[in-house]
Amino acid sequence: MPASEWLLEAAELTKDYGSFRALDRLNLTIAPGEIVGLLGPNGSGKSTALRLMLGFLRPTRGWVAIGGHDCWRDGVAARQQVAYLPGELRLYENMTGRQILRFLGQLRQTDPSPVADTLAKRWDIDLSRPLVELSSGMKRKVALLSVLAAPVPLLILDEPTNTLDPTMRHELLEQLGHARDRGQAVLFSSHVLAEVEQVCDRVAILCRGKLVHEQALRELRRTSLVRVVLARPVAEVPPLPGLHVHRREGGHLVLETSGPLPPLLEWLARQPVEELRVEPTGLGPIYRRIHGADAE
Amino acid sequence: MIALVRKLLRDLRVPLVVVALLLAAFQVLWARVSQRITEELVPKFTAFLPLGFIRNALFEGTGRLMETLMGGESIDFSRALDMLSVGYVHPLVQSILCIWAVGRAAGALAGEIDRGTLELLLAQPIARWRVVAAHGVVDVLTIPLLCLSLWAGNWAGIAIFGEIDWGSADNGHLLRADPRIFAPGLWNVAGLLFAVSGATMALSAAGRFRGRVMATAVLLTLLQYLVNVIGQLWPAVEGLRPLTLFYYYQPQQIILANRWSVPTVLGPVNVLLVLAGVGAVGYLAALWTFCRRDLPAPL
Repeated sequence: MPASEWLLEAAELTKDYGSFRALDRLNLTIAPGEIVGLLGPNGSGKSTALRLMLGFLRPTRGWVAIGGHDCWRDGVAARQQVAYLPGELRLYENMTGRQILRFLGQLRQTDPSPVADTLAKRWDIDLSRPLVELSSGMKRKVALLSVLAAPVPLLILDEPTNTLDPTMRHELLEQLGHARDRGQAVLFSSHVLAEVEQVCDRVAILCRGKLVHEQALRELRRTSLVRVVLARPVAEVPPLPGLHVHRREGGHLVLETSGPLPPLLEWLARQPVEELRVEPTGLGPIYRRIHGADAE
Repeated sequence: MIALVRKLLRDLRVPLVVVALLLAAFQVLWARVSQRITEELVPKFTAFLPLGFIRNALFEGTGRLMETLMGGESIDFSRALDMLSVGYVHPLVQSILCIWAVGRAAGALAGEIDRGTLELLLAQPIARWRVVAAHGVVDVLTIPLLCLSLWAGNWAGIAIFGEIDWGSADNGHLLRADPRIFAPGLWNVAGLLFAVSGATMALSAAGRFRGRVMATAVLLTLLQYLVNVIGQLWPAVEGLRPLTLFYYYQPQQIILANRWSVPTVLGPVNVLLVLAGVGAVGYLAALWTFCRRDLPAPL
């Protein structure tokens, strides 16, 4: 395992369960202060990847390291760098919120209370109540507190917005932005494309255990989808920089462009356009191309 | 690790107090039973019939099972001290001890996986061996407490229904005894608890569901208990007794005769060494397994 400048680095990371390959040669890096979204449907290997990063699973092949520490062989040092929010959240229900924060802080040998108290007040959480009496959303808030209050360079969140209300979702995404501003990196698995688009710097899309697509969101934000309905089909689309035809069906034309819009609009002005809509490309078309009907 | 030990003790406090009270209460009750038998019933019946005749009549045929459960032929139920020592081998006491050890150890690792809380714990910078070691520390702290509660029951029972007689070795049928005489037997009780706990911990480290680990451990413990009892009644099974933990659970012979060893094919073996060895091997197996296994996602 070579020394590197990456906070998290996975190389050829593979996990087999008998003859079933849950994760297939994942290569992934995360830099300090970067928010990376891990996307994929159920069974695509997201949770397996996260569990390998936390040392819960032993890789069949390859390795993953956090802060230069191998997550399996040197798991304690690796986890010293990480705060983790599990997807299937199970807390010690007999404890109060404050007790669990103190307990996790003691294991980490840190005092999370100043940050946790501020967030608890802001999120309206009563930390003196036993967790057994809290709703699932409240429990998730307590777990999020413990993650966000931990002074670590990497946050790993498995579907963190599950069971949260829209206000709290928005608040969480804002907190992740603050974490980035503080120099913390975030690895964040989700099914919700909109929130990934909103907060992530980069996405990695998994399909059947393989990393099939990596995309910087900055690039994606520069691209636009231009949906046009024409009175009659056009024969040729001009070879403008960054322009390609996403779909063409009769008079319906969907163009994707990462180049400047004015030349394209000038060309369209000369066509028999009946309807025109310009929208940001977003992750949807990419995701559907990989996992949806477009993948067939 | 101190934080983890504190948390584990906190989780156990209610069942621990309940089990400790049960053990103590049983010893108090057993002191009353002993007093009734040795001071009231035996003198009454021996006025008409010789003790040997009564003993034969009681423990003939299927009655031998009762004699075996009470500690065997060497126990004289007309003597208060012998009767009190039965309180250490009574099936109910052994059941309570084993249920505690099995239940706690099964819940320790497999139970945490089952509940899904182990993921939360091991996401923290804590080594897996420390989790197993923390459970070992909890055993080291709770087992003496349970033994002491058993002993406290002896003290209370003798004080309530008889008389504490400092320094006396034996007062025949009178419930006048020095409870300190029972102290050496507590080592054997601790040994049994540690052995059952260690063996169950090994299963727990490899398991995923608390219920399954518990069922397997209960089945194995019960099987050993039955083999040990049946082996005393049926010579064909006697050779299997040394393979069971209960063969090395001999608090009566330690209390009454200060005998710490039992015969085996290898010669006399110290019962404490065997029980401590089984417990230690169980814990080592748990360490080996738990530090290498994959942790499944909670269901």
